[in-house]
Amino acid sequence: MPAVSFEHIVKRYGAVTVLDDLNLAIEDGDFLVLLGPSGCGKTTLLNLLAGLLEVSDGRITIGDRDVTELDPKDRGLAMVFQSYALYPTKTVRGNLKFGLAASKLPSEEVERRIAWVAKMLQIEPLLDRKPAQLSGGQRQRVAIGRAIIKKVDVFLFDEPLSNLDAKLRTEMRLEIKKLHDELKSTVVYVTHDQIEAMTMATKIAVMDGGVIQQFGTPDEVYEHPANLFVAGFIGAPAMNMRSATLAVKAGKVEAVFKSGARLDVSDYPFQAPARDGLPVVIGMRPEHFTIGEPASGGTAQFTLPVLSAERTGSDATLYLTFEDEMLALRVAPDLAAGLRVGSTVPVQFQAGKANLFDAQTGRRI
Amino acid sequence: MRWSRIAPQLALTPALAITAVAFVGSIGWTIYLSFTRSRRLPEYGIDWSEWGRQYDRLFRDAGWEISLRNLIVLGLGSALAIVFGFILAAMIDKEKRGESFFRTVFLYPLAVSLIVTGAAWRWILNPTLGAQSFLRSLGWEVDFNWLAQGDTAMYAIILASVWQSAGFYMALMLAGLKGINTEIWSAAKLDGVPLWRVYLEIIIPMMKFTFITCAILLSLGVIKAYDVVVAMTNGGPGQSTWVPAYFTINALSAKSNLGYASAAAVMMLVITLVVFIPLVALTVWQQRKREAAR
Amino acid sequence: MSQVSVSERAAAAGEVPVTRAPYFVRKKKGITPRSIAVLVFLTICALFFCVPLYVVVVTSFKTMDQIREGAIFTLPHIWTLEAWDHAWNHACSGIKCDGLKVGFWNSVSILFPSLILSISLAMVTGFALALWNVRWAGGFLFLLFICAFVPFQIIMYPLIVMTTTTKIYGTLWAVAVIHAVLAMPVLTLIFRNYYKDIPTEIMSAAMMDSGSFWRIFFEIIVPMSGNILIVVLILQITSIWNDYLIGVTFGGLTGQPMTVNLANLITISTGTTNYAHNMAAALLTAIPPLVVYFLVGKLFVQGVTAGAIKG
Repeated sequence: MPAVSFEHIVKRYGAVTVLDDLNLAIEDGDFLVLLGPSGCGKTTLLNLLAGLLEVSDGRITIGDRDVTELDPKDRGLAMVFQSYALYPTKTVRGNLKFGLAASKLPSEEVERRIAWVAKMLQIEPLLDRKPAQLSGGQRQRVAIGRAIIKKVDVFLFDEPLSNLDAKLRTEMRLEIKKLHDELKSTVVYVTHDQIEAMTMATKIAVMDGGVIQQFGTPDEVYEHPANLFVAGFIGAPAMNMRSATLAVKAGKVEAVFKSGARLDVSDYPFQAPARDGLPVVIGMRPEHFTIGEPASGGTAQFTLPVLSAERTGSDATLYLTFEDEMLALRVAPDLAAGLRVGSTVPVQFQAGKANLFDAQTGRRI
Repeated sequence: MRWSRIAPQLALTPALAITAVAFVGSIGWTIYLSFTRSRRLPEYGIDWSEWGRQYDRLFRDAGWEISLRNLIVLGLGSALAIVFGFILAAMIDKEKRGESFFRTVFLYPLAVSLIVTGAAWRWILNPTLGAQSFLRSLGWEVDFNWLAQGDTAMYAIILASVWQSAGFYMALMLAGLKGINTEIWSAAKLDGVPLWRVYLEIIIPMMKFTFITCAILLSLGVIKAYDVVVAMTNGGPGQSTWVPAYFTINALSAKSNLGYASAAAVMMLVITLVVFIPLVALTVWQQRKREAAR
Repeated sequence: MSQVSVSERAAAAGEVPVTRAPYFVRKKKGITPRSIAVLVFLTICALFFCVPLYVVVVTSFKTMDQIREGAIFTLPHIWTLEAWDHAWNHACSGIKCDGLKVGFWNSVSILFPSLILSISLAMVTGFALALWNVRWAGGFLFLLFICAFVPFQIIMYPLIVMTTTTKIYGTLWAVAVIHAVLAMPVLTLIFRNYYKDIPTEIMSAAMMDSGSFWRIFFEIIVPMSGNILIVVLILQITSIWNDYLIGVTFGGLTGQPMTVNLANLITISTGTTNYAHNMAAALLTAIPPLVVYFLVGKLFVQGVTAGAIKG
């Protein structure tokens, strides 16, 4: 039985339809990340689940309960907000206690839970401070504490890390992941940061324009993007996209680029038999290129001029010109250091790792 | 049904009931009464052949005419408070020294009841024992016996209300001036523009919202002016300092003429609306502008 | 009504931009002739503003004999509290001559229930309108906005009838309740505008944690209302205390506030007027709001300008 399911969800604001007939089901214990650019409807979806917004049509269930018409407090959820939303006039203890306001627990149990949360999140010394006296990371912990103190089955996170600096963000990412493993609860997590999505999620729903573009594990989403939007949105540097036409001849499938260059894609797992002359878009991840002379067959070779190189220390991105456009490659830093701008390099692409999309529909073929 | 939808509506019931009964209902009631012949007690029959008789009488009433004329005089006279308030604010803002002292002094009259204000000015304007006699003893032939004469009594009321409200407009203007970017002063200084021209050609046009707000607030205040009239002259001498607010209450309490008082009150509402509609337009306009700026 | 209530209108109007420019730190230089001229002018204006207060104060300490000399600006030859004593204990209002103390205690008894009623009503209403999802909130707000500008005269007679029917007409309660009713639209708009600025996420969090209207109100919202509460409190204290019209209309003979006593005293047309008594009475009436003003003047200013006008 799914932990959370959305059935035929419609959300309209006046004449504007934000979500139209959206369906999504999450299994118990999943860590679902709703990923997408701003305005894609992911926060709306989260707020609908929380009950902070009301659906125009459709049904939301949590466990075996239909919660569509329930108040937020009755849905058995806890939520962590982007701005933490701590009550400024209450102490940390007061904030945690108010997290249990709807639960009518005996006061010993409340105290016990505060102690448990404080210990787990290491905020014991802060219990009597006001939010204004806390650092960003500490506020984040309190906000998480106020959610987990409820001991509910489903936790919601609304871009909880976007107000933190890079270092704290990495720390908290690990911590949230750890909490999820410990509590074995279901999490719905909204973010526009794909690193957060890739590192924490067990399932990712990539959203755009109010539609779920792809729903799957992080690996599926990364390696087999369902359409051009997902392919372009996930991955940094972004996947390289080039238009081409398929040429099918004697069981061999080749992609012919505009310049006439050819790429043998016979190994590509076509979902339907390849059609000759089909205009496609080929997506090539930066890390699936290698520099140097070809090894044994199955790899295509290009010789491309160097545009520039960016070294980040552990990693380097090499920019070459291919089909009049910039092509990003991930390479070893020392390799990038040895290249001169304007010189040409031999490049191999692992054709088996290519992603092919129908140029017209944008869908994976 | 979601409780979160019901609870706020329940909490709003008292306010809604008050609005419906004490405001909307009462206004309707008074408008209705203005069409009846009610005198001391309400009569609810309307004689449709002459439903406007109270208004007919009102427009022919010399007292009402005086009230309207005084309203305009008071409005124009009180406008001095805005001018005065702006001058004070500009000086305080430019000088900065003693800002909080001057602000405290200019604003204290606002904290005092208009009845007290009236009492004080009445005493100062006392012809035999007040400022006039003092100044005459110094050899200045001045005539401050404003309150006793019908054609000058309004000036005394204007004086008292300007004294009372100038600080308020100063405070509004000061807030407006503080909102002006300080770079404008530097720019004007670099360009060598004389100060009075900076005010006239740049600052005042920039503060037009503040000025319009002040003007509307002033108009609404003038329409409601009652306390100051009671305390200074009690309408006299004769009817020379009657204003609509005074006229209406006088018709109800002294003349016990309910229908007539209601008609006068309706006219007051109409005058208020004339001032109020530009205010709504202004608010909407400003909001649009603010949104456009975003 | 008084100018203070005009300032309340400003609150509803939400006009003046209050973005405060950072203080322009200038180099301390010597006083220029222009500065001197400005300061002299401001000082003269300040003196003009202080004249009535000065006159009232010195007159209240004079004997009637000295007043008859006609030198209004001189200090008292003999400082006497006779006029103060008379005004407090024996001044006549109408046919009763029990002094202003009657009106003073009436005003106090009107002030407190009226403050509690008007502010609590406005807080709850403002909270519900600002932070809860009520479909007709927009229309109701507009209605309140209009009500805030309605002249008192147009609802005066119906309110008299209503207070008479409920048998509170002529009592302190009538005055207190009518104050609360008339202040409701403006105060609601002030609180609503203030609460509108509370981050929506805090409200969302409270909806998930508690969901109870009253619990959120008392535990989260009221503690967050400190600033606006004080500003409104000062606004209401001065406007209720200084009111005359409502007091004279609904107070009857037994529920008259101090301003009505004072007005009766100074507009009396029979006999000789004792100006020392009048001025002492005026000062007694003015002292409570003036004390508030000089104690928390900054907040009063905020009340009548920035704080209340904040849109």
